[in-house]
Amino acid sequence: MFRYLLRRLPAALVVLLAASLAIFFLLRLSSGDPAATLAGPDASDETVAAIRGSLGLDEPLFTQYLIWLRGVVTGDLGTSYILHAPIAQLIGESLGNTVLLAAGALLLAVLGGGVLGYLMGTVRNRTVQNVLGALTSLGVAVPTYVTGVLLILVFAVTYRVLPSGGVGPGLSDFEIGVQYLLMPAVALSLPTGATLARFLAASLRHTLDQDFVQTGIAKGLRRRRLMTAHVVPNALPPVTTVLGIQIGQLLGGAIIVETIFAWPGIGQLLLQAVTGRDYLLTQDLLLIAVAVFIVVQIVTDVIDAAIDPRIRLERA
Amino acid sequence: MIALKPRATAVAAAAAALMLAAGCTSAVNQQGDTGGTPSRGGTLRIVQGADVQPATLMSQNNPNFSLTRTVFNSLIQYDHKTLEPQPELATAWETSADGKTLTFTLREGVKFHDGRAFTAADVIADLEIIQRAEVASQVKGIAKQIAQMKAEGDTKLTITFKRAMSNTLDLFLMMPIIDPKTADATFAGTSFNGTGPFKVEKYTPGQGFTLKRNDQYWDSGKPLLDGVTITVVRDSQSMLSSLKSGQSELALDLAPLDATTIKNDPAYKLVESDANDSVAYVGYNVTVPLLGDKKVRQAISYAIDRDRILAQVYGGIGQVTSLPWAPSSPAYDQALVKHFTHDVDKAKSLLQEAGAAGKTVNVYYDSGFGPNNGMAEIIQFDLTAAGLKPNLQPLQASDFLSKLRSGGFDGMFVTAHGFGQIGPATLLGGAFPFNFTKNASSFVSPEYQQLAEKVWFSPGKPDAQTLAQVNDFLLDQQFVSDLVTSTHTYATSSKLQGLSWTMLDYLDLDDASLAK
Repeated sequence: MFRYLLRRLPAALVVLLAASLAIFFLLRLSSGDPAATLAGPDASDETVAAIRGSLGLDEPLFTQYLIWLRGVVTGDLGTSYILHAPIAQLIGESLGNTVLLAAGALLLAVLGGGVLGYLMGTVRNRTVQNVLGALTSLGVAVPTYVTGVLLILVFAVTYRVLPSGGVGPGLSDFEIGVQYLLMPAVALSLPTGATLARFLAASLRHTLDQDFVQTGIAKGLRRRRLMTAHVVPNALPPVTTVLGIQIGQLLGGAIIVETIFAWPGIGQLLLQAVTGRDYLLTQDLLLIAVAVFIVVQIVTDVIDAAIDPRIRLERA
Repeated sequence: MIALKPRATAVAAAAAALMLAAGCTSAVNQQGDTGGTPSRGGTLRIVQGADVQPATLMSQNNPNFSLTRTVFNSLIQYDHKTLEPQPELATAWETSADGKTLTFTLREGVKFHDGRAFTAADVIADLEIIQRAEVASQVKGIAKQIAQMKAEGDTKLTITFKRAMSNTLDLFLMMPIIDPKTADATFAGTSFNGTGPFKVEKYTPGQGFTLKRNDQYWDSGKPLLDGVTITVVRDSQSMLSSLKSGQSELALDLAPLDATTIKNDPAYKLVESDANDSVAYVGYNVTVPLLGDKKVRQAISYAIDRDRILAQVYGGIGQVTSLPWAPSSPAYDQALVKHFTHDVDKAKSLLQEAGAAGKTVNVYYDSGFGPNNGMAEIIQFDLTAAGLKPNLQPLQASDFLSKLRSGGFDGMFVTAHGFGQIGPATLLGGAFPFNFTKNASSFVSPEYQQLAEKVWFSPGKPDAQTLAQVNDFLLDQQFVSDLVTSTHTYATSSKLQGLSWTMLDYLDLDDASLAK
């Protein structure tokens, strides 16, 4: 595994460098001016020019890129133009909230999607298949902003059993923190859970049709042993790959969910950065997102290899 | 495929148990609903759609409305009906006969939150700060006219201007008194040392503020509240949900159509500010050949159905208008408010005269601000009916602002302006759509400059005749077509009492309380 990780490292660095170039220059191609945003609509040209200078935006573009890259490499992510706080501090404050939300949603998605997918893949009853199929289709099709608003309407506004938004005390007070987490995590988990369920079901059906399963039955293997030792491990690798991709989508979906539930996470921070043309903050957040994707991909490969001995990381 | 019996019941039960377990102690009940008579104590929870921008504290900027007057004070405030100045940190003021010199007597015993005494030297230092190039303020033009400042002891202050101006006092209304020693830290959001009723206990950029009562506040016995929280909730629907679920008591500037949903609900109050300082308008880049002809601009002004915008976009909050002034302004003229009525035939006729019928025009707007989308669609419909070919161009806020400032729209644009509620000179010289030196429409006119300067550099209030000339000029030239004078709204729980605001719409929470 170590050799595998060592081999992936140069490629990962090249991807990060290419991403940094794309992020920096594509962002500058978009119109909008952080200095104008900061100064407000009624400010004079003199004020906007002074602000632009203080932000270093009057330097040549490539110089700005090199300054940013040097900062990233040396661990200095800079200061947000709009929020005026060190970016490392802003990310630190928001990242924990997003990780909590994503972890909660992932847990619900894996549990819910796993159960539904298992049932869909193994139960032959047509009615059960239709109901579960419809449920998962609904989960994939209904956007998170619809489920989010509906959840708030029912549980926060009508019945007032859960808070409508905010992060609360977090997990420092588990009992209260979980209540703040529940609705956003459910809203965020639904598309991921439903997608996982459908992939797991398809993979289980495919695996159950394989010859080795018939051989196992013919040899008199117990059903539980057959499923846990043979069918599920063979069905899981494609699902974990999808899960890796879904984690990326989960982070994307977090932008919407965080906005609806006023959850102060990375999604909200990114939204604010992009709309305010807070170049430095946007660049840092996007580069971190790319790094997270790369790590998730590598972790997915490692998990696949652990589940299925036929997959060898050294040959991957 | 082989059939296997499902054994998932236990897993499903576990998921349900998670939800049940979460319900042991209610996060909702913990927030503490109250009801009854007004009293001291309690924490007011405010939600607003955007984060406070400390860097723009010296200018009027909507996201700062919740913080500016809760943490800081100004020297004066204006009476909401007469615009007569009222004492705040200044207890008296006197203008010299030539209108150039202003002498303030400052309140004694005022302390900054860190315990340091507030003095005349602080006001001078703050005025020097507002003059700095990188500090944005709509009244910088007034500050730049200062010729001399002199403190006499701690409580006497004399300021001499190069010329007499009609709106001098607007500077002292708008400028919050910040501790000049920590001004840079204030603009950076790391220190908020003011003299106001609340101290900043915690600021998390992008998330909000926690304020606590200033026990040394100069207005003894106030404030009544123990504290205030300001939380950023970016979505208007989510702000409304927060209010309805009892998670907050005050939602600032809900989208108008969200706000109207609580109008008839006794559990809430929808309070409309009497400042009326938000005017929706259409601006034109007059350097674009089509829009350089004032007949085309007048035609567009006649073509737009203002009543429909007021009803369908603003939910009836406000009034239609053809001029930028709020009713409190000395330039407000009731007879001219409906100068431009919805008249499609007249619009068609003017377009024919100008040879503009059938021409294409781009309509830019900031799509991130809810009402703009509805307005743009109505304008598209109305212009089509009048015989133009409008082409809607939605932009993100930063892009829109950038183009607005640089005069970069190759067509017309839909947005809103303020400053119609105070001295007319401040709008003509400080609000970018109307600024006579450089404006968003790239409109240059010696006649306009002359009129605006006459209003600006008049000792005392500008005379009615000059203001009438300004109004006639604005109506005739139409480089800005004002549509609807709306206002900022405060959606509150019925528990919140004593809510007030300044003529700049800064929240004044000195007398605010939560009923128990």
